[in-house]
Amino acid sequence: MSVSGGRIALGAAVVAMAAALPFVAGPFWMGLVTQMIVFGLLALSVDLLLGHAGLFSICHGSFFAVAAYTTAILQVRHAVPTVLAAPAGLLAGTLLGLVFGLAVRTRGVYFILITIAFGYVVWGIAHRWSSFTGGDNGVTNVPFPAVAGVRVDSHTEYYYLALVVAALCALGYRVLIRSPFGLALRGIKGSESRMRTLGFDSNRHLYAAFVLSAALASLAGVLYVYYNRFVNPVAASFPVSVEAALMAIVGGSGTIVGPFIGSAIILGLRNWVSSFFELYAAIMGIVFIVAVLWVPEGLVGLAARVRGRTARV
Amino acid sequence: MSAAVEIAGVVKEFGGLRAVDGVSLRVAAGERRVLIGPNGAGKTTLFHCITGTLAPTAGRVALFGRDVTRLPEYRRTALGMGRTFQISNVIAELTCLENLTLAAVGIDRRKWVLHRPVTAFADLRDRARAGLELVGLGPRADELVRRLSYGERRQLELALAVTSRPRVLFLDEPCAGLSPSERTRISKLIADLPRDLTLLMIEHDMDVALGLADRVTVLHQGRVILEGAPGEVQTNAEVREVYFGHG
Amino acid sequence: MTTSAILQAINGTSLAALLFLVASGFTVTFGLMRVVNMAYGAYYLLGGYVGLSIVQATGSFALAVLGGGAAVTVFGYLVDRFLIHHTGENHLAQVLLTVGIAFVVGDVALKIWGGDSLKVPVPVFLRGAMELPGGMIYPTFRFVLIFFGVAIAGVLWLLYTRTQIGAVVRAGVDDREQVSATGINVDRLFVMVSALASFLAGMAGVVGGAFLTLYPGAEWEILIVALVVVIVGGLGSLGGAMIGAIVVGLLDAYGRWLLPEFSYFVLFGPMAILLLFRPQGIAGRAA
Repeated sequence: MSVSGGRIALGAAVVAMAAALPFVAGPFWMGLVTQMIVFGLLALSVDLLLGHAGLFSICHGSFFAVAAYTTAILQVRHAVPTVLAAPAGLLAGTLLGLVFGLAVRTRGVYFILITIAFGYVVWGIAHRWSSFTGGDNGVTNVPFPAVAGVRVDSHTEYYYLALVVAALCALGYRVLIRSPFGLALRGIKGSESRMRTLGFDSNRHLYAAFVLSAALASLAGVLYVYYNRFVNPVAASFPVSVEAALMAIVGGSGTIVGPFIGSAIILGLRNWVSSFFELYAAIMGIVFIVAVLWVPEGLVGLAARVRGRTARV
Repeated sequence: MSAAVEIAGVVKEFGGLRAVDGVSLRVAAGERRVLIGPNGAGKTTLFHCITGTLAPTAGRVALFGRDVTRLPEYRRTALGMGRTFQISNVIAELTCLENLTLAAVGIDRRKWVLHRPVTAFADLRDRARAGLELVGLGPRADELVRRLSYGERRQLELALAVTSRPRVLFLDEPCAGLSPSERTRISKLIADLPRDLTLLMIEHDMDVALGLADRVTVLHQGRVILEGAPGEVQTNAEVREVYFGHG
Repeated sequence: MTTSAILQAINGTSLAALLFLVASGFTVTFGLMRVVNMAYGAYYLLGGYVGLSIVQATGSFALAVLGGGAAVTVFGYLVDRFLIHHTGENHLAQVLLTVGIAFVVGDVALKIWGGDSLKVPVPVFLRGAMELPGGMIYPTFRFVLIFFGVAIAGVLWLLYTRTQIGAVVRAGVDDREQVSATGINVDRLFVMVSALASFLAGMAGVVGGAFLTLYPGAEWEILIVALVVVIVGGLGSLGGAMIGAIVVGLLDAYGRWLLPEFSYFVLFGPMAILLLFRPQGIAGRAA
């Protein structure tokens, strides 16, 4: 796939800016951008299903949270080192994905409703099983991640860590969506009945996609808990899961950078609005409404439309 | 040698309505069978039952001697089934080439490859292009299917069905909604298909049907009322009654 | 032990009555109009808070129930007409849109009524506890709620199965084109059904607010449980909503009693089983 000169220049500029950020921005902004990256990853995981397989899942906060809680509990209560706790978190979230993947036996509205219900089960357990999860207080004092004596303990270092992880994920994601598997997902999204007569077991493909997206959401969760240094039931809440989908849509569903752009917009907006207006949840609600009614193809799609072609990243 | 398609006593009920009411038929390998009948005769429903899109209420379906009654469609495709739909069922958001690539990889293990781009598989790409060339859509390879005209989508539909190298092809009114020149084009494409490919076709247009068929099965109200050579069927009184309302 | 078990059964049944009020509107709205409205929880909350204010101002619970229902009916109509109307049958858009509306309602309600748990005061004759056959003591209001729920369910069922409008709605749930073919004004029918659904949700808020209390977040909790009812009973089926409400109500009550930390998990059980064997729910149609 040919990449225009303009695209390369833009990409190089973005990379340069990203690398230079710590030199121009204070801890607050770096923290914010780090959050944008982490939630961008979560949004990306949701978009694997939404933009490529056509499934709208609102339970990805569950994988995110389960991974975060697992890593946190292992590190805080059992002094398990990062090198084991992080993969354990990733694994825990992915295992949950194997279970929740049952939802792919349904389609359309049923699928949406069932993922919502699944998401709430996890939230409910995080909220009620206080003896294990810490209830509403969650798990606090998560230590800085450290592997083989190397600790990541400043905002700058963590920012770079998140950036590198996200970049690697984005590259991996790119490979995935260009593979035969990725094409098959888009085929299923377009016409499942046609794909079945072409020889594809659509349920199997969707299940695999679901588990992969759960794994990616789990990775975001592990990144999140080390950045935040704590986790509470809010991470598994419905608003987090829905917002992840909204981020993907606002930024541009079906693209790689879309979810990250969407994350930046939503988090940036929330940050800005909450500094002067109490009812920022209402503002977020209005963003939902506006996005749905006027900008359904997201910023990337809008930009592409303005340039006169469809967005294919 | 076992028949390409053999069905026995297939019934399909919807609520109280029997769309297919005990149909049995046997299509020999390499035969070209056309299914005709007035609207509502149950032809498409019968197709759905044979291809696995719907599960029959009763009866048995076999492809190449193998009982497939309980088999999902994608498994039947792996056994050599290809089909087109009455209403074009193509993936509009993808390009023609992508559609054909999916057809080429549908029964291939490589559909599960996650780590290499689809463009790396030259043989799939070549087969996809060959399929497009066959139906005359070569120049439109990289265009999104949603930009294709209705007639072009019918062509794509046919290409999709043949690219998976089927042994038996189910065509549901391939010429539906086409202009006369498009009709001629599609009929020629079908006529030119390899002779060892078994064909089972629903067709409304009598001329097209009788031109292509080795044998004709006439369906009316979910039952077979006549089966025979095209000439026989054309002159049969009952068939004329069913189609034109007078003996 | 048996006394507790029976007590929980009554708890579950009274919860079921409430759930039915919220779920029935959601399921019929979907079945007939193919609209997924995630703001039903917010409608419940809004109705409850409005009802609370009415009681505080007038002292009349009955007025509160009707007023809460009416307020939501108007609000729901505006939402339908000016917002949901533009989403066609795009369920993704409807979910996001109505979630957005719920966020707005929730936040504004927080500003107006505050963050404390508020209880809607019930009329004197329904306060306190009553003695049930067998010597058990049980809160009067919750017990009466069961009969209220049954009465509403009965009226809805009669409307649904015995009237012409009901027949049209049933036919419409099965096949929308049929509705237009009967010559009945489809738009007007949709508005009526939607209004009734909103009214029920608003009413449910007042009634629920009397024993479950109203607080920020309640709108999502009630919605999610109502969604489980709808999934279990089958989208579009009123009868399914009744069965689902009982199943979920009882499971919730017993779950909270026996396994308080995992009560949400108890709700998950029937759903997971259903998914394995009957994804379309007890009375729903295959997707």
